[in-house]
Amino acid sequence: MRKKPPVLSVNNYSVSYYTANGPLRVLDDISLNIYPGEVLGLVGESGSGKSTLALGIMRALHERKTDESGEILLAENSLTVMNEEDLKGIRGTRVTMVFQDPGGSLNPTMTLGEHFVQLLDRHRNLDVNETKAETQRLLKMVELSDPDMMVNKYPHEVSGGEKQRVVIALAFACDPELILFDEPTSALDATTAINILDLFRILQKKTGVSALFISHDLGVIREIAHRVLVMYAGRLLEMGRNDELFTTPKHPYTRALLGSLPKVGIGIRNFTLNTIPGALPDRTITIDGCIFANRCDFVMPSCRLGEFDLKGDSIHKVACPISTKILDTKSVSNSVNSVNSESNKNFKELLIVNSLSVHFSRPDIIDRILNREIPTVHAVNEVSLKLRYRETLGLVGESGCGKSSLARALVGLRKFKGRVSLGDQKIDNINQINGAYRKRIQIIFQNPDLSLNPRHNIATILSRPLKLYQPVSEKKLQKKISELMNRVNLPNRLSTRFPYELSGGEKQRVAIARALAAEPDVIICDEITSGLDASVQASIVNLLQNIQRENGVSYLFITHDLNLLRFIADRVAIMYLGEIIEIRDIDKLGSPPYHPYTEALLSSAPIIDPNIKCRKIHLKGIIPSRTHQIPGCPFETRCPRVLGELCRKERPETQHIGLNHQITCHLDIKKLEAVTPIWSKQITDTTHAN
Amino acid sequence: MNSYLKRIALQPHGAVGLILLLVLFFTVTIGPVVAPYDPEKFHYSSRLAAPSLEFWFGTDHFGRDILSRILWGSRSTVLLSLLATIIGTFVGCTVGVCSGYIGGKTDEIFMRFIDALMAIPNLLLALLILTVLGANATNAVLAIGISFSPGMARVSRSVTLSIRSSDYVAAAVARGESSIWIMTREIAPNILGPIIVEATIRVAFAIMLLATLSFLGMGSQPPTPEWGLMISESREFMFRSTWTILWPGIAIAIVAITFNLLGDALRDVLNPRTD
Repeated sequence: MRKKPPVLSVNNYSVSYYTANGPLRVLDDISLNIYPGEVLGLVGESGSGKSTLALGIMRALHERKTDESGEILLAENSLTVMNEEDLKGIRGTRVTMVFQDPGGSLNPTMTLGEHFVQLLDRHRNLDVNETKAETQRLLKMVELSDPDMMVNKYPHEVSGGEKQRVVIALAFACDPELILFDEPTSALDATTAINILDLFRILQKKTGVSALFISHDLGVIREIAHRVLVMYAGRLLEMGRNDELFTTPKHPYTRALLGSLPKVGIGIRNFTLNTIPGALPDRTITIDGCIFANRCDFVMPSCRLGEFDLKGDSIHKVACPISTKILDTKSVSNSVNSVNSESNKNFKELLIVNSLSVHFSRPDIIDRILNREIPTVHAVNEVSLKLRYRETLGLVGESGCGKSSLARALVGLRKFKGRVSLGDQKIDNINQINGAYRKRIQIIFQNPDLSLNPRHNIATILSRPLKLYQPVSEKKLQKKISELMNRVNLPNRLSTRFPYELSGGEKQRVAIARALAAEPDVIICDEITSGLDASVQASIVNLLQNIQRENGVSYLFITHDLNLLRFIADRVAIMYLGEIIEIRDIDKLGSPPYHPYTEALLSSAPIIDPNIKCRKIHLKGIIPSRTHQIPGCPFETRCPRVLGELCRKERPETQHIGLNHQITCHLDIKKLEAVTPIWSKQITDTTHAN
Repeated sequence: MNSYLKRIALQPHGAVGLILLLVLFFTVTIGPVVAPYDPEKFHYSSRLAAPSLEFWFGTDHFGRDILSRILWGSRSTVLLSLLATIIGTFVGCTVGVCSGYIGGKTDEIFMRFIDALMAIPNLLLALLILTVLGANATNAVLAIGISFSPGMARVSRSVTLSIRSSDYVAAAVARGESSIWIMTREIAPNILGPIIVEATIRVAFAIMLLATLSFLGMGSQPPTPEWGLMISESREFMFRSTWTILWPGIAIAIVAITFNLLGDALRDVLNPRTD
């Protein structure tokens, strides 16, 4: 395969953006080849320049704002010198692109079918009947269930996964030589994402198309790519065959990045995730030597001199002169934390949620007069759970399952039915929530860009809860603010800055500090790391664990990342369509019995550890709408172990297995126990494992 | 504040706006002092005189010096219309932010009332108010302010709605902040951008509305040198003596352009996410 000429070759390609502080070097001397039939994974953190590379290949960079050098060759044609007219013949036919947000790449005013008509008409000159047939073929190819119905639907009428399938079908429509994927699964749910990845793998094998697959998610790259490139601050640091790179990473950055990921397979809690201290270098100034030198643990004086190109054989190249032996002296695996928190575990319950429901409806005057049924969304449906002292309870579920509604109800942002008891305080509806309750339960939101007022500086943001809950003098206030900032490892000089002047990780630290200011008993973390890079996520998670160890706060940690949860949580509650279907100890996550949904969810978590094999489960079927009360089990429509009538008609009972495990399912526990575990240790070739 | 000024000045339209504002400022403050004649003095021998060295901008049908009238008139025209806009913006924003934040039935009642007010054209509404209050310049300002407020309320409410659903407002509610704090400190600073742009556009409208009211005899009364009044008084002579209507027209246009340019520049500068 290597003998053939590459489909795409990028030679010494550099891009700079013009900014107020001078040219910003986004891509620095990038050279890569993509061979026929190959999927090249490109992995890097935000700001590493991955998307710029994709835009550069598509020739979609803003000419007046950028400065380019180098060459991009598609087969024998040079894209960098081609004029706009000729490029139009190449985009959409020979090179196509799939973006992160499928909703954004489909025109909301056109039906799905019209997208195909437009594309096929422009590039393939088919007549009406041929276009129809071809559209049907493409929709069937991406395994969309009812192509006839699909063509007449508008993008907003189908789910995110279906939209992304349509986008992929459009990308394949003109038999391209190369497809660029820019984070195609990041916006999708885990169980949908693995289906999309599998679909692409099948199509890729069938058509032999080449692809550049860009992602910040090492797990996704591990699943899909043949060869992997690691990019950092606009430079390539390492390139290797998938198995080579993940088993024996050679660059300190790759090693640090892999170390910062919580891994499946290390089952025990209270590890500290590795972090990469420091920040991305300022690329408006010229940097001599290795780009990673300032954050590298192994840095030597020679690292700051000369140039570092990718060196090595065709299987594995690295831009670092330090030998693997030296790197091995410092283990990359997550270090075990010496503090054993099990000893101070307390089984006393702090927060008890008793059959809490959150419903949304918009009662209309006309509806009421006509005595019509008012459509109600049952976002959270009779959920009961208990949070103990000093405990982290994970809450997992896909988007739209009601996790956030539950969180918002608990902090008094949504009306709810049911009862919440916090210590000796009993709350039966939103009007009973008072200052004392609010002080004891704090929330941290997912996106710090949205949860910090852009008009307030950091000191103001932190001073509000202090002023509200424990009025102090102005002098003491300043001291408190600096204490809080120290607590979350933020330098004091940032206190006069505004949120937009901070990095994503720093902003989330401010949000954590604001929650801590109230000295709460419970902090609800609503997907607080999902917008962050792996290494930043690791430092935030470590920080939360340290705070818990010192202050004894309990966390309700909402996430969709199961791997992360294994790291931080004691117990996990799994939520599906507004209902909790299972609560279990995190330590035994790998062993059955599981609820069938838990089983599918676990199998969709990407595995990076080469020694672990995962049994994949693909969910089919539609997700029922939550505007009606579902008479039976909510998971019945997609359950691979469905029993039939019983599951559809009757609500399942909650079955208890020991003190810390409950499953809400009709299936007999004995049967669920007999299921093969999701993860199994793979006997690996010792020459590859390190 | 200085950094804001600097950032306005760094943008081309902002710089032009600032220069024009400076010119306007001097016209308003020292204009009457440097005016060559008394604005109300009749020069019988040179009625409707074309611009010359003696009368730079020409004279009107009573032989009054137009340059002097423009310079004197800047005070009443610019200041009164600014005042009217400020009143309209303040009242409108207060209603809009409260209505948008509180929501529910309160919002419904406020908005239906505002819809009813908006169904009446600005001018008619202002006339209605003036007939009740009595016709003079102060009441005209008040009337314009009130007739502007429904529009401002609409704009500020819609911006408030989008801000209200943001997480930082949710965070403030969750920690138990008072509604007053949330409206004044969390929401208000964030809706400033669109409000300022809307307000600057309305300054130009206020000038025209003031002129119209004066023309109808409900605002400034002759012989006050007011730009709008000057235009309406010279209406009959506009074809033979163009200058009588040209100079006040240009003056109004310059004020309108000044505030529009400043509004655009301010919007960019006040947006915290642009550098």
